[in-house]
Amino acid sequence: MKTFIFPYRHYVIALMFLSVTAIISILFGDVLGLINIALLYLLPVLVIALRGDMKATTVVTVVTVITFDLLNVPPQFSFSVHDLVHALSFILFFVVGYTITYQAKRIEANAIREMFLDTLSHDLKTPLSSLLGNISMLLKDHPIDPQMRRSMLLQINDSGQRINRLVLNLLDSARLKNRSGLLRLEWCDFEDIIGVALQEFRYHPKQDQITVRIDPDTGLFWGDCALLVRLMVNLMDNALKYTDEGKRIQITVTGDNSAITLLFFNESAPIKKSDLKNLFERFYRIDDGADVGGNGIGLSICRDIAAIHGGTIDARNCTDGVCFEIRLPIRKASNHPMREAL
Amino acid sequence: MRVHELVLIIEDDESISQMLSLSLRQQGYRTLVAMDMQSAHRTFRANRPDLILLDLGLPDGDGKTMIRTIRSETAVPIIVISARHVEKEVIASLDAGADDYVFKPFSLDELAARIRSAQRRFLGLQPSVNVIVCGDITLDIAEHSLRKNSEYLKLTPTEYNLLKYFMLHLNQVLPYTRILKEVWGVGYQHEMQYLRTYINSLRKKIETDAARPGYIRTEMGIGYRFICDTTTP
Repeated sequence: MKTFIFPYRHYVIALMFLSVTAIISILFGDVLGLINIALLYLLPVLVIALRGDMKATTVVTVVTVITFDLLNVPPQFSFSVHDLVHALSFILFFVVGYTITYQAKRIEANAIREMFLDTLSHDLKTPLSSLLGNISMLLKDHPIDPQMRRSMLLQINDSGQRINRLVLNLLDSARLKNRSGLLRLEWCDFEDIIGVALQEFRYHPKQDQITVRIDPDTGLFWGDCALLVRLMVNLMDNALKYTDEGKRIQITVTGDNSAITLLFFNESAPIKKSDLKNLFERFYRIDDGADVGGNGIGLSICRDIAAIHGGTIDARNCTDGVCFEIRLPIRKASNHPMREAL
Repeated sequence: MRVHELVLIIEDDESISQMLSLSLRQQGYRTLVAMDMQSAHRTFRANRPDLILLDLGLPDGDGKTMIRTIRSETAVPIIVISARHVEKEVIASLDAGADDYVFKPFSLDELAARIRSAQRRFLGLQPSVNVIVCGDITLDIAEHSLRKNSEYLKLTPTEYNLLKYFMLHLNQVLPYTRILKEVWGVGYQHEMQYLRTYINSLRKKIETDAARPGYIRTEMGIGYRFICDTTTP
């Protein structure tokens, strides 16, 4: 029930304001006069308009105008409007509502853009400074011992990979924003997809901690293979970041006629409940002081990729670690080509 | 192999062309750089390079036209350099006659391997023998058999044909539609389900770990490539 009401919470709040206004207007209508009452009725409209949602504004304003007309505009308790001036004030309700909604939308867009630029500049600047710093040290004429030199080169490589992953994520995210128009749907084999994703971590020091188990009955999946690779890469990236040396990362793929389920398990400390809920929000990063170079984009793209395939993703604490589960419903059945005899 | 072979680099970004030049010279090649199609055409006609690296994102025209023009004159190996997210362009270039491709950002080692493998093909050094050995697997075409280490593996007819096609085109990128046409036949070009399913079952038989394939490499959005390191010097 709670989850059902949640997305409509702002309607509830605005309508509560409306009820209070209506009660006040009935009790003190004679004292306040019609102008003050009208101004009071603007409150619920303002409350909803600040959400920046045109539809919600329309609904609440319509209800408000009807209530106002019914209870306070003479003749009371009827929809008929004797004075044309009142009709004009009804229109003004909408004008105010839409103007504020539009402004609220613009402010929100700006806030998102700012957050986006902040994250982006942080995530670009960190690997870039490592890149430039290491390179300038290597460019100096001082002798550097070979071991040090190698570790600097490894860091340069790692920073380059990080920038590359960020760029690919941003490109995919732009592709996802355009919704299904740019999806390249084809038959995908998850073993293949995981193989390509693993390929991206072939030089990662912890990559051999990853084990993969694929149920042989898992059929082909009709989806955007490149995006599914990105989904796998981001989840692997995440698991590798939060798993200590020597701990397990297990990827399990199972499938039946209705859905394919991907389970990413990594051995680690549990995640706080409040963090679990927000993990997939854009730009969210767990604030535990230890910056492991997450960019707050990876997991939100995972959610978008799952969603665009009609699926879901969720994270939970499970025995000894953290589990990410992706469920992708099968929307187009693959007809297995005939099995050949040997 | 001839020494000091000439590589023509067609690339408008100087930082990339310089890096390519430097690394190729270190490996003993001579290099020439063209910044646009027009000068590339001139340089190509005047110098007859032994290999061409072509960036698809040139300012003054379509790389595919360039490939077709070169192909109409010589069979010189062409390797296409391209940004990701334009797989269609890469496939079109391969169809136009390019030999191979790398995606930006690419590793120089990988590019070097691609260059060597394209040269070997050009010089006819590809195996035309009956027995092809690659890592721990041996395909005997005359005997119609496959061994991994010394153990015989059983393949279905389609699996065998698919593997044979791969092993006759070692290290070469093979677009999906080409594999389907060559192995299954004309009319099957779009039967991706067949290809995915048989690649999956073939991997289970020949790969040590099917999730980390060492032989059949997926080229996302393009096709497959059969990796055979034994032929790399």
